[in-house]
Amino acid sequence: MQPIRDKDFDQLFKDAFADAEVTPSRDLWSNIESEIAPKKKRIVPIYWLSAAAVLLIATIGVLIYQQQDTTKRGKQLANNTIGKDKPAVQEPIVKDSTIKIVEPVENIAPVLSVQPKAVSAIAKTKVKQEVVKPVEKQHIVTAPEMQKQETMIAQVEDPKKDIKAQIDAVILAQPKVDMVTAAIASPVKTDEPINDNEQNIKNIRNVGDVVNLIVNKMDKRKDKLIQFRTDDDDSSLSSINIGPFKIGKRNKK
Amino acid sequence: MEGCKAGDRKMQELLYKQTASKMLAVCMRYAKDRMEAEDVLQMGYIKIFQKIKEYRGDGSFEGWIRRVMVNTAIESYRKNLRSLNVVEIDEAYEQPSTGFDFGTLGMQDLMKVIQKLADGYRMVFNMYVIEGYSHKEIGETLGISEGASKSQLSRARAILKEEIIKMEGFGYATYTG
Repeated sequence: MQPIRDKDFDQLFKDAFADAEVTPSRDLWSNIESEIAPKKKRIVPIYWLSAAAVLLIATIGVLIYQQQDTTKRGKQLANNTIGKDKPAVQEPIVKDSTIKIVEPVENIAPVLSVQPKAVSAIAKTKVKQEVVKPVEKQHIVTAPEMQKQETMIAQVEDPKKDIKAQIDAVILAQPKVDMVTAAIASPVKTDEPINDNEQNIKNIRNVGDVVNLIVNKMDKRKDKLIQFRTDDDDSSLSSINIGPFKIGKRNKK
Repeated sequence: MEGCKAGDRKMQELLYKQTASKMLAVCMRYAKDRMEAEDVLQMGYIKIFQKIKEYRGDGSFEGWIRRVMVNTAIESYRKNLRSLNVVEIDEAYEQPSTGFDFGTLGMQDLMKVIQKLADGYRMVFNMYVIEGYSHKEIGETLGISEGASKSQLSRARAILKEEIIKMEGFGYATYTG
């Protein structure tokens, strides 16, 4: 046999492959299909995420600023009220830290129950003109709101009562009023932040909870600025409310 | 084809089903094995569906698809260009003195022999012999000289002939023994 020429050799290959077919794997089309499918779905959440992140940082900043402010005020208040507390209730000396203040709060409770009696006592005995003085005194003590309400009640009831009869009793009772009202004020104020923190820690399971918590503090509207659904492990955005621009599953219901 | 241009998924699938097995045969010639070939096939079809609007209708549609596929295969080779195994085998493969009969060899046997070639040889042989590129075009596409293309082609031929004789001898032995 003659050695085959290059031309013929090439032609043999060309013919062999001219109509060649090899069946591809079955799942190859689905691979191609998923590659050519639009990928828009994945891009959108990134925008939301970055928006949420910016919001989170901003709100955390504001929150920290506010908390610093309130704790300062809380401490001042605590100092004042405790000072008044000491002689009357005779509790062990409490120091400045807000956490320790919680303990005496429960012990003071019995004193609180006495409060209505004390108030009514004042009401019976006070004269209009005399009432003015204790009010001013109490203002200096800086115990807030609660005091005012009590004295208001006292004022309303005053005219009905016998004026002269028990003036002496008023003078005796007055120091007690001061300390009682002070005691009421202090538990209310100091209690608040601590309970809050405990709740916070219990409810936080994921990032969505953190955001919700912060937004809840800042935004008291029914439709919050931003809210996450956190019932499942993964938190997912459930609603947004930025002025005229609202998104929310709540709206659909 | 119009459906494919519009991005109709069902039309795209139809086009794939009608042409894929032929195109896989093309890819197989350029690849080392089936897996590599199917990777190229996938890339090729993605490219086809992206570029289908550029097809002006000159020449057959299948020819256009085939060209895209071959280009994809070449591109993939150039990307991978794994330390090109250009084995120096000048003396090892001389022109075989005996002729041989192709009758016993099917397309699949030839495919196996081509896939055994070193990557560079396989590229040149496919492009020149099957696709009909000139040595100049091959040189430009693969980034080698025209002379290198020519010498690689003749080496590829020599290797293929040697391998085919081996296969035939093996086949003959099994027939008799």
